[in-house]
Parts: sequence; C-alpha cells; structure tokens
Amino acid sequence: MENESRGVLGLLDRISDLGPAAQASIPGLYAWAITVAPSAWAREAGWPADVTAVLALAVLAAAPVLERAQPLRARVLSVWGFTVTSLATWLLVPSALSPSHLDVVRAVAGVVGWALFATASAAPALPRLRNDDRVTSEGRLRPRSRFPRGDTAFIAVGVALAAALELVGWRVVAEERAVLVRLVAIACGLAMVGAWTSFAVSRHGRRAPAPLKVRLRRSLPYVVVLVLLVIAGVVIRLA
Amino acid sequence: MHWLDVVAVLLLVGAGLAFVAGESALARAEDLQAIYWLAVGALGLQAAAHFGRPVVR
Repeated sequence: MENESRGVLGLLDRISDLGPAAQASIPGLYAWAITVAPSAWAREAGWPADVTAVLALAVLAAAPVLERAQPLRARVLSVWGFTVTSLATWLLVPSALSPSHLDVVRAVAGVVGWALFATASAAPALPRLRNDDRVTSEGRLRPRSRFPRGDTAFIAVGVALAAALELVGWRVVAEERAVLVRLVAIACGLAMVGAWTSFAVSRHGRRAPAPLKVRLRRSLPYVVVLVLLVIAGVVIRLA
Repeated sequence: MHWLDVVAVLLLVGAGLAFVAGESALARAEDLQAIYWLAVGALGLQAAAHFGRPVVR
C-alpha cells in the first residue's frame, strides 16, 4: 500500500520537477486538439495543413525534452514554435475558422485552452511539494482500503471501449444527426464505464456470493431477449 | 475467476462492440440498424451486470 501511495506522490513530484515549457504542453495539447486538429483535418484542408498541424504537435512534444539542457530555447520553441505552426495551419485552411463553420462551444473551449497555454507558458513552473508543507505531523496518511490490481485492468478496458465510441461519427454532415451521434456516444460510453466498474467492484463484495442458479435466473430474461434479437438479426441478414 | 464471470466479460466486450456498430449506423443515417445494435448492446450490458453480480440481495 505504501508503495502505491509513494508511486502516486512520486509521479506528482516528477510533474512538479518539470519546467514551464513542459507544464504548458498539457494545456497546449488541449488547445491543439480543440482548435488546430479540427482545422487541419477538415474536409477542405489539404496536406500542407496536416503537416503544419503535426509539426505543431511535434514542437509541443520536443520542448519538454529540450528543457533540461536548454531551458531558454525550449521556452522559445514551446511558445513561438507552437504558436507559429498553429497559425500556419489556420492560414492554410481559412474557411475552417469562418463563423459558419465554427461551433460556439468549441470556440469558447478553444479560447480557454489558449488562455491556459499562455498562462502556463508565462507563469513560473509549479514548485515541488516540500516535506515541511504537509498538513499532518505524522507523515503521509494511510488509505483505509486497498484498490485491487485486477480492477484497474477491468476499468481500463471499460474506459478504452468508451473512448473507442468517441472516435466514431465525426464526419457526419447534418448538424442535428451529428449532435445525436455525440449524445448517443456519451450515453453509451458512460454506460460502458459504469458497467465495467460495477463488474470489477462486485467481484470482491463483503456479502455472501449468490449461488449459480440465482445468477442464471436473474440474467435469464435479458439473455433470452438478447439471443432472440441476435437470431432475428442473422435471419433478416440472410433473407 | 468463475466461468460466469468470463461470460460476463465477453458480454461486456460484445456490448461495447455493439454500441460502436450502433453509433456507426447512426452516423450513416441507417436508423433501424442503429436501434438494433444499440438494443443488443443495452441488453448485453444488463445480462452481464446480472451474471457478474455475486452478491445475495
């Protein structure tokens, strides 16, 4: 248990060790995903916009690597390199940012993303947590329960399936259908994560396990309808 | 892991794939297929939830 909490704290310490360019890369990635990537991979965009967008991402990734050896150059690369390549992408696809193409929510999210990137780039890096900053005098607090390792795998699969749902249907032309597809994707994704999490948690409940017959009896109506649906689908497909 | 848990995991994976198929059909404006796949996914989730709940109520 202590090893796990040490691992989490170690990760936080490592993030605190990063410089401003590296810390700014997180909101930069968000701003890139909201404003640059949709422009670069729009219908009317050509390959030059794709190249500049990928270059912007590469610059963003290169800055943290360069920061330890050359912090000043890394900062210039992060701020100017990322901004110029993003600007080049927008100039190559001017119609992607026209009011008729730009969704209001995405525009606001993009403004927030760029504001966060600017703040993180301009502000000093977050300092590392020192031992004397702790609230308790008795060292690190101990969690009351342990998070089983198997559960992480189950929840990760659920999250991966939910993320896969979000990758579908981004090229829908009709706005109403596009909104419907996104709503369905979010609802199905939430259901997936909830179901996988419930399954993971139910494996180690404190109460007595239900007998096999009870579990089969409870699930029987759903299984019967599911099998009927699958058979009907196969029959209709073959007819 | 009990064999019913394995069935529950397979149902959960199948439900996820059915949701993806349903969403793809919805994006292609094939509404009947979308409803079919989404119903299959929802039933798969329900069945998996009852298979993999080893607790007496």
